[in-house]
Amino acid sequence: MHRGMRSITSTLATSAMTATRSDTLPYLGYGLGLRVEHYEALLAKPAQVQWLEVVSENYMVDGGLPLVWLDRFRERFPLVMHGVSMSIGSTDPLDSGYLARLSALAKRVEPAWVSDHLCWTGVAGVQLHDLMPLPYTEEALDHVVDRVKRVQDVLQRRILLENVSSYVSFAQSQLTEWEFLAEVAERADCLILLDINNVHVSAMNHGFSSLDYLRGLPVSRVQQFHLAGYEQGEQLIIDTHDAPVSNAVWDLYVEAVRRFGRVSTMIERDDNFPPLSELLAELEHARKLAEPLLRNAA
Amino acid sequence: MSTLQAMQQHMQRAILDARTAALPDIRSDDVANAGSRLAIYQRGYRIRLRDALKKEFIGLQCMAATRLDALLDDYIDAHPSEHYNIRWYGGALAAHLRETRRDKPQLADMAQLDWAISTAFDAADEPSIGQSELASVPPAAWANLRLDLQANLQVLIVSHNVDAFRRAADRATARPGVRRLAKPRRILVWRHATTVHYRVLENDEWPVLASARRGEPFAALCALLAEYHGDAHAVPRMVSLLQTWLAAGLVRGLAS
Repeated sequence: MHRGMRSITSTLATSAMTATRSDTLPYLGYGLGLRVEHYEALLAKPAQVQWLEVVSENYMVDGGLPLVWLDRFRERFPLVMHGVSMSIGSTDPLDSGYLARLSALAKRVEPAWVSDHLCWTGVAGVQLHDLMPLPYTEEALDHVVDRVKRVQDVLQRRILLENVSSYVSFAQSQLTEWEFLAEVAERADCLILLDINNVHVSAMNHGFSSLDYLRGLPVSRVQQFHLAGYEQGEQLIIDTHDAPVSNAVWDLYVEAVRRFGRVSTMIERDDNFPPLSELLAELEHARKLAEPLLRNAA
Repeated sequence: MSTLQAMQQHMQRAILDARTAALPDIRSDDVANAGSRLAIYQRGYRIRLRDALKKEFIGLQCMAATRLDALLDDYIDAHPSEHYNIRWYGGALAAHLRETRRDKPQLADMAQLDWAISTAFDAADEPSIGQSELASVPPAAWANLRLDLQANLQVLIVSHNVDAFRRAADRATARPGVRRLAKPRRILVWRHATTVHYRVLENDEWPVLASARRGEPFAALCALLAEYHGDAHAVPRMVSLLQTWLAAGLVRGLAS
């Protein structure tokens, strides 16, 4: 799949030589995405969840109840911030107003890290509120790398970028998705939030190997895993986050643990919310799959 | 224009308007053709915006019932989202309904109240004072006393019983009938601590509240009330209003 891109060789060489993860960020264990539907239940059972991921935009507000809840959770859990609107791949200028609010929120929350998605969410001032895939070209690579560097300068920290689920791919792409993601991470010196479900969804939708995807990412850059559920559509798999993690994704998670080792892992549920106990059971399942592998590796 | 920029603009146009010609750049394969793939984004865009609006406009949901999706789709077609946070997408819905649904002006009234409640929910936090702070005001200072009211309080003028619809939606009780009021009324919307409140302002209350917001002194507020109640009852009424405002958390400070 290589198409003569200038830095692919160096990326793969780096990943092969780097056996340990970046030591600049902590390992948090097993966590959940924080959603309103589970606020009360989570505060009642804090010991079963080691950390929480908050959606940044939900708390980029002036005041009121959202920030009251945020402060309550901040007292009890390590938090990380996960955004959906940075639009790092858009050809619109970076939104300085957005970045200023994100930066202010990060100062308030003091999260273990800040993440967003490798995508674009709109152009010409319009917001699609979706995680739109990029064409994997040299032009897009240069564009994204430059913007990640500038965002990291504003936030004064390295960010994590997450691979998105996608339903389209582009004829002009010169790289695989994982080559593109690895190149962005290396050139911009950012980290990777690897969504295992998204790897599976996109692999099925585009016909690539999810194992090739895992093998193509540098171990040292992968800081966090997402696990989630999807919906099987008529032709394509849709990344809905409204169902339990599928067996196929659990299998891929095992492979990811084998490759990347001890990585902070969380369940992401955004719709059709079950009682918290069901998510805790999924989290426990993740633990039971990963811990024996990690003990053996140690 | 760069290749990337052209691709993004073309794809966005195709998502916003399904009549745009399919993108030649999108691959088709045995799993699905380019049109089917793009359609997922087209459907997703509309569903996400509709869902976001339904969260903020629960009174309108109650009022419009089965016609809600059609109303929201008209708005979505006319107003592409421009704010990075989807929570702010509904800011122009009341004006849109006022303009496009002149046959049903209650819809715009309803959307106006819903949006005021929505914006009060996460407006900036402000302190509020209670009765005890009044005790420290010396008698001689009352005439020139000025009330510093909450910046987040909003006053809406409505011509329909929209507060009843919102209350029915908030309490999940039976939907009332739409009623046009004999004369427009003012609804006060504000947040006290973390709870958003709304209520109809009494006839004599609105001019006094408006004057207080402009920084008029206590004596001027009493003079206004004298026009409604006569000199003898103006001060007791002002005291009563002040107690109500303090208890509701509308006053953040006193100045003289």
